[in-house]
This record gives sequence, structure tokens and C-alpha cells, in this order.
Amino acid sequence: MAKYIVKRFLLMFPTLVGVATLIFFLMRVVPGDIVELRFAGESSFASEAQLAQERARFGLDRPLWRQFVEWMWGLARLDFGRSMWTGAAISEEIKLRFMLSLELAVMATIVAVLLAIPLGVIAALKQDTWVDYAVRIFSIAGIATPSFWLGIVLILGLLIIFKWLPPMIYTPPWVDPWQNLAQLIWPALAVGYRYSAVATRMTRSAMLEVLREDYIRTARAKGLVEKLILRRHALKNAMLPVLTVICIEFAFLMGGLVVTEQVFNLNGLGLLFVQSVAHRDYTLTQALVLLVAAVFILVNFLMDLMYAWIDPRIRYR
Amino acid sequence: MAINPLIDSIAEAPAAEARPGWVSTMLTFARRRPLGAVGALVVILMLVVAVSATYIAPYDPLAVDFGGMLAPPSAGHWLGTDSFGRDVLSRLIYGSRTALLVGFGSALLGATAGAILGVGSAYFGGKVDLSLQRLMDVLLSFPLIVLALAIVAILGNNLPNLIMAITIPMIPRCALVIRSSALSIREMPYVDAARACGFKHTRIILRHMLPNVMAPYLIMLTAFLGQAVLLEASLSFLGLGVQEPTAAWGLMLRGAAVEFAETAPWMAIFPGLAISLAVFAFNLFGDSLRDALDPKLRTL
Repeated sequence: MAKYIVKRFLLMFPTLVGVATLIFFLMRVVPGDIVELRFAGESSFASEAQLAQERARFGLDRPLWRQFVEWMWGLARLDFGRSMWTGAAISEEIKLRFMLSLELAVMATIVAVLLAIPLGVIAALKQDTWVDYAVRIFSIAGIATPSFWLGIVLILGLLIIFKWLPPMIYTPPWVDPWQNLAQLIWPALAVGYRYSAVATRMTRSAMLEVLREDYIRTARAKGLVEKLILRRHALKNAMLPVLTVICIEFAFLMGGLVVTEQVFNLNGLGLLFVQSVAHRDYTLTQALVLLVAAVFILVNFLMDLMYAWIDPRIRYR
Repeated sequence: MAINPLIDSIAEAPAAEARPGWVSTMLTFARRRPLGAVGALVVILMLVVAVSATYIAPYDPLAVDFGGMLAPPSAGHWLGTDSFGRDVLSRLIYGSRTALLVGFGSALLGATAGAILGVGSAYFGGKVDLSLQRLMDVLLSFPLIVLALAIVAILGNNLPNLIMAITIPMIPRCALVIRSSALSIREMPYVDAARACGFKHTRIILRHMLPNVMAPYLIMLTAFLGQAVLLEASLSFLGLGVQEPTAAWGLMLRGAAVEFAETAPWMAIFPGLAISLAVFAFNLFGDSLRDALDPKLRTL
């Protein structure tokens, strides 16, 4: 087992290097670099010499392979460099936004789990009745509704019904938890609904499969209380695929909330990513993509470990 | 030489007659899975609307009317007008063209490319399989929208590039599922037979293996349809998809729709409903198709 963990852990690095390589060269293929973009923004006619000077300042005049090697060497020392656009250290740029995105992802996960597991279990127990149909329609609608639009509708509803708008400026939870909650609960609900829909469907189908198992029939035959059968026998065994979905969605939330953040005016990782791509800010975009991929790969790794912990039948070699 | 009368009767029965036609297959599907049939019906309806947009749209979707800006829904403009005085209903109708074009285009391309890569990966195995899988792993470690965004930023945003950007993140997701089905097909005797006949690799992959992964292929294809429509709407909403003045649902939610949401909520509500309805219909149909073809397969 220990050997497997070490091996699995080390295997994360080739994937990360692959991601880093891919994004580095992908960014370089983009026509127009940050220097051109910045001068175009100032609408002044810069001479070729000026452009070249700026490029030299960012080290963009050096051969591609040297830029790549230097960047990778920096990564190896956990040094992401400075943002080409703002000049600030990237670790600083990311730190604040990472907090916000993480908090939102955790809140959305709580919303999703609270909705998904009860709904999924009920739908499975009452399969093919109106309860099941209602839950299924509710969850398919959740997948179909764009969460950014749901966000717009939520804000609109608050504005029209309560004549109140959620605060638009981020307050860290340790400064004022209420203010923080008042702002983040709405995006968490909008995102959590979609997220819960995916998890509800998985809970339902996993439960349906488990409920048909022989050991459930045995449990019923020996006269066990239905509640116990559900909790100890059925739910426990149905949790594995549900956990997978929850983990994967969580990882995606860390960087994939690009659009919802725009609607709620949240300064999270997604918004930073859109800006950095628009600015052709090579260093920042690369760092962000790598971060998002790293979170995803790490969550997958932890998931594998959790499997073995939850289900003792799974033994990795 | 009669071995067993039962086996003989089965062997002699004409096989072709037992196969139902596609009309009756569809009818059976509709009877057994009413929800899926409703979804299919809505999809067909949308296709009809998209094709006949020029005939059924009450106004020109691009016609600006500064006299009638932000008009509420009325008999003249059923769903009101936007901040340029353009008819919202007409823009919704024309927007279905964009949505369906991008949806079907990228789902078809993504699922097909994924299927070919997945089958190829399983068929060749060894080093080819390993390196393809690593590449897929790398692509899979991006959230769908992040990868699509990066590609749009690189290629520049016009319609073909948008379809490309949505297609690429779908390829590894499909390849993964198809590969696992194809792994067992590779071990089938008929594949061995084909190899023994000296057929070329491409022929074995295309004629012998691909037809046998049709079920997961169709399931992935229909699952992608809804996702592609959603992704297109998200990208257009961010201003990185379809460009003004083209009518697209995500684009209609952008800018003025949010700014004037309080005074002119119809601008923000109807395009969102259109997106939801379209994706809802695709998913209903896709779900039922999965239940009918391969209920164990999980499309995520």
C-alpha cells in the first residue's frame, strides 16, 4: 500500500510537467504578445526599438527553449515569477483569489451535498413514482440551467422582491463572517444547484444498483429496520461513485467558475484567468493553468487514497 | 443432418425479417421512454425553428429601432425589445441557429475524434496506448471551460474556431469511455479473424471495431450536445464566443441585459430560458438513450 501511494504520488509530476509544457507552448502560439497589446492599449505609435526594448525587459527576446528552461527551473523552486501585466509577484496575486475561490467551492459543495444525498436516496427508494420523476426533472433542470444565468435571476429576484442587493466587495470571513456569508451564499447556491444535480443523479443510480444487491435482501429478510438497512448497508456502499463525482466537481470549481464570478463581481481565480488570457500575461496564465491542473490532479490522488480507506476491498498494489 | 429440431429451426429462420425497421424502433423508444421522447420532440422542434428562422421570425434580428428601446413584452413584440430596440423573440429564434450549429458541430466532431482515438488506443495498445493516455490525462486536468477559453484566446473568436475550442476538451472525455469498451472488443475472435485475413489496421479499426462501440459513442454524443450548447452560451456571455451583432443566446445575456435587468428583466430571462430548455431537451433525450442502450455507462 505504502509503495502504491509513493508511486501514485510520483506519477503526478510527469502529468504536471506535461501540463506546464503544453500551456507554455500554447501561449507562445498566440498571435500578439503582451508588449504589442500594452502599446496598442495606450494608442500611441511605438517604434520597433521601443517594442524590442520592452520585450527584452520581459526576457521575450531570448530563444524559446531558454525561456522554457528558465521557467521550469523557477517552478522547480516554487518561484512563479512576476505578472507581466501588473508586475506584482504571482504568488501574491494568486493568494487572495485562491482564498475566495476555495471558500466558494467549499460552500457550493456543502449546498450540493445537503441537496443531493437526500434527494438521490428518496428518488431511488421511490423509483418510477411521481417523487422520482420530480427529483429527476429537478436534477436534469439543474444541469441544463447555466449557473451564471441562475445567478442573474437570483440577484434580480433579491432586488425586485426584497429591494436588497448582496454586498459586492469581498470581506474575508475572519473580518466579518456575516458580511462574507451575505455575499457568497448566492453564488454558492447558484453553483451548488448545478453541482447538486450531477451528484443527485449519481446518488440515485448508485442507490438503485445497491438496492438490488443480495445483501440488501438478506438484511431485509433477517428483519432489520429499514432505516438501518439504508444507512449501514445501502448508503455506505453507494457512496463511492457519489464521492467521485463530488471530488471531481470540487476540483473543477476551483478554476471553472469563470462565468459565475463575472456575474457576482467576485475577484476569484476564474476572473483572474480571463484577464490574464486577455492581457496575454504569459507568466500569470501559465501559473494559473498549472495551479488549476495541480488542484485537479491532487484531488484525484486524494480520491484514490480515500477509496482504499472507505472500501477495504480495494487494495492497491 | 438434423442435430436438434430446435436449433435447426432457429438456424433456418430468416434473420432479416426479425429486424424491426427504424420507424418502429423509434415508436418503441417513444412508448417505453416518454421523457426521452419529449426531449427528442423539443430537439426536433428547435431544429425546425432554426432551419425556418427566416420565415417564422417576426422581425429582422439585426434591425435596430431606437424609438422602441427596452419595450416590455406586448402584442407587437411578444418578448419585448432589447437596448437597441431589437426584437427579443426574433433574436431568440435566430440564436437557435448558432446554438444548434455549435452544439451539433462540436459534439459530432468531439465524439467522433474521441471514438477514433479511443479505439486506436485500445487496438494498438502498448506504447501508443500509453502515450495517448498520458496526453489525454494532461487534457483532462483542465476544467472544460478553462481549456475552451484558452483555445479561443489562441485561435481568435469566430464560429469555426469556437466549434474547435468546444470540441477539443470533449475529445479526451469520449476517448476514455470508448477506449474501455474497445479494450474488450479487441479480444473478440472476429478481430483476430480480421487480422488473420491480413486486413490493414485502418480497415480493422474503422470497419470492425468502430461499429461495435456505437452504443457508447451515441451516448457520449448526446451527452455532449447539451454541454456544448452550455459552453457556447458561457463563452459568448464572456464575450469570447460569437460576436455582436450575430444573434446568440449567451450573447443576449451579456452587458445590457445585466445592466438593465431591473427595469427590463425580459432581456435577461428569456435567453436563459431558451438555453435551459435546449440543454434540458438534449439531456432528457440523451439520458433515455443511455438507459435504452447501456444503463451501466456513466457519462461524466
